[in-house]
Amino acid sequence: MARVVILGAGISGHTAAAFARKWLGRGDEVTVVSPSPTYNWIPSNIWVGVGLLPKSSVEFELGPVYRKVGIDFKQARAVALHPEGTGSDGRPAVEIEWTSSGETGPRERVHYDFLVNATGPKLNFAATEGLGPGGNSLSVCTADHAAETARVFLENVARMKKGERRRLVVGVGHGSCTCEGAAFEYVVNLEFELRRHGVRDKAEIVFLTNEFDLGDFGVGGMTLRRGGYLTPGRVFAESLFAERGIEAITRAHVRRVSPDVIEIEQLNGSTSEVAFDMAMLLPPFTGVGLRAFDAQGADITPRVFAPNGFMRVDADYEKKPYKEWRAKDWPRVYQSPAYRNLFAAGIAFAPPHAISEPHATAEGTPISPAPPRTGMPSAMIGRAVARSIVDMIGGAEGPTQPASMAEMGAACVASAGANPFTGTAASITVYPIVPDFERYPEYGRDQRFTFGEIGLAGHWIKILLHHMFLYKARLRPGWALIPE
Amino acid sequence: MPPYLRIDAPKPTRGTLFMRTFLPWQLVRFAWINLKMFRIIAKSH
Repeated sequence: MARVVILGAGISGHTAAAFARKWLGRGDEVTVVSPSPTYNWIPSNIWVGVGLLPKSSVEFELGPVYRKVGIDFKQARAVALHPEGTGSDGRPAVEIEWTSSGETGPRERVHYDFLVNATGPKLNFAATEGLGPGGNSLSVCTADHAAETARVFLENVARMKKGERRRLVVGVGHGSCTCEGAAFEYVVNLEFELRRHGVRDKAEIVFLTNEFDLGDFGVGGMTLRRGGYLTPGRVFAESLFAERGIEAITRAHVRRVSPDVIEIEQLNGSTSEVAFDMAMLLPPFTGVGLRAFDAQGADITPRVFAPNGFMRVDADYEKKPYKEWRAKDWPRVYQSPAYRNLFAAGIAFAPPHAISEPHATAEGTPISPAPPRTGMPSAMIGRAVARSIVDMIGGAEGPTQPASMAEMGAACVASAGANPFTGTAASITVYPIVPDFERYPEYGRDQRFTFGEIGLAGHWIKILLHHMFLYKARLRPGWALIPE
Repeated sequence: MPPYLRIDAPKPTRGTLFMRTFLPWQLVRFAWINLKMFRIIAKSH
């Protein structure tokens, strides 16, 4: 009998748990440890954040779902790894702290044969003074954040209906943020909703980003085949902003968010202030702060985790200049080099480096996106890790299932307005996610599979994906047939 | 004045905007985009 413990029940952890349970025998145990009792389909938080969906539409209780399929669920946060056990007890273990109501605080040691760290990111609002729901800006990173953002957005709409002019700023709140795509999706949805409410003329909308160019999205941008040309994605992103009358500030790092002013610094060294009435600014990510200890209790965190708190896996972490970055630097099986039964999936693994070209000001402030790990790759990595672990339990020497982001593509549908007849979305496919200039010297990607288009059809697909992935996450009949 | 980016990208024509939400055409695009996405999914799994 083997016990697989999965830390985190986001897209990657939940996928890993579901497949591990499906593929393992009944004698084996699958345990999920997550501080939240609910699953959140994060891609649809965008619609919660403009008041189109209640947060109950993007969340469900994990407990009943896990009970149904025989997954042990512990509502707790992981605080420390003991991959060599402790003292005379050599069984690997993770120390968890319960977070369920009435049980907050008690700790428990959970033993494992295999452990998947899928804890996702810590939302590091503290990196920028005044950033975040506890400060002076809003977020859509969680369903609760998105619901609060919707409340403020609708207050602003009400004031605009009374004739007031408002400046709404959407973007990222630090020079090292990721998830520019989510911010982009939110800003075009917000613009669409302002038109629907009949107050578009009362709003100045500003997109604030750390991208060198619009359309970078943390993946170094993309070149799209359209209208007989191979056109940089920047042109499509700028075209959408030109069409919608959205202003943009690029190459920016947010220094501070005051109650009504954002202080920014740009790559050219200039500083300025942007006044706002509402600001939705996504935070930078770090790891969740897990520590690791050896059998004698010595702190081995630097061996297991990178300085940013994400877990080291089978990537090439050697520091090298941008020109020497290679697709093969990226991990393939997400196994810890320190412990063969320890894996990381989704956002929790430490990328070897960024994907976009790094930039910094003359004073050294880095202003460039961190690499995104969106829903599709996160889920595919979770599934691959589960397959490898199941095979290793079955006797395989090592991980069997690769899932490198430099060898997989991604399909992404970015909503640009939610209405079944007048809405639109940008449907984008890229292959591979991490450009491989050795295989595809000109653009780093296979242009036959790199594609983008805006239209109503994309919105229908977005609706379909929302329902399909929530159905899958609820592990309803046939869930495993739905691809990641 | 905030340091706004000077955007001089091409804007879609009225015809392009119309086609983006023209139902018969979008039904065709729906099928086509799904096919493209399935190719990526199949290639990545």
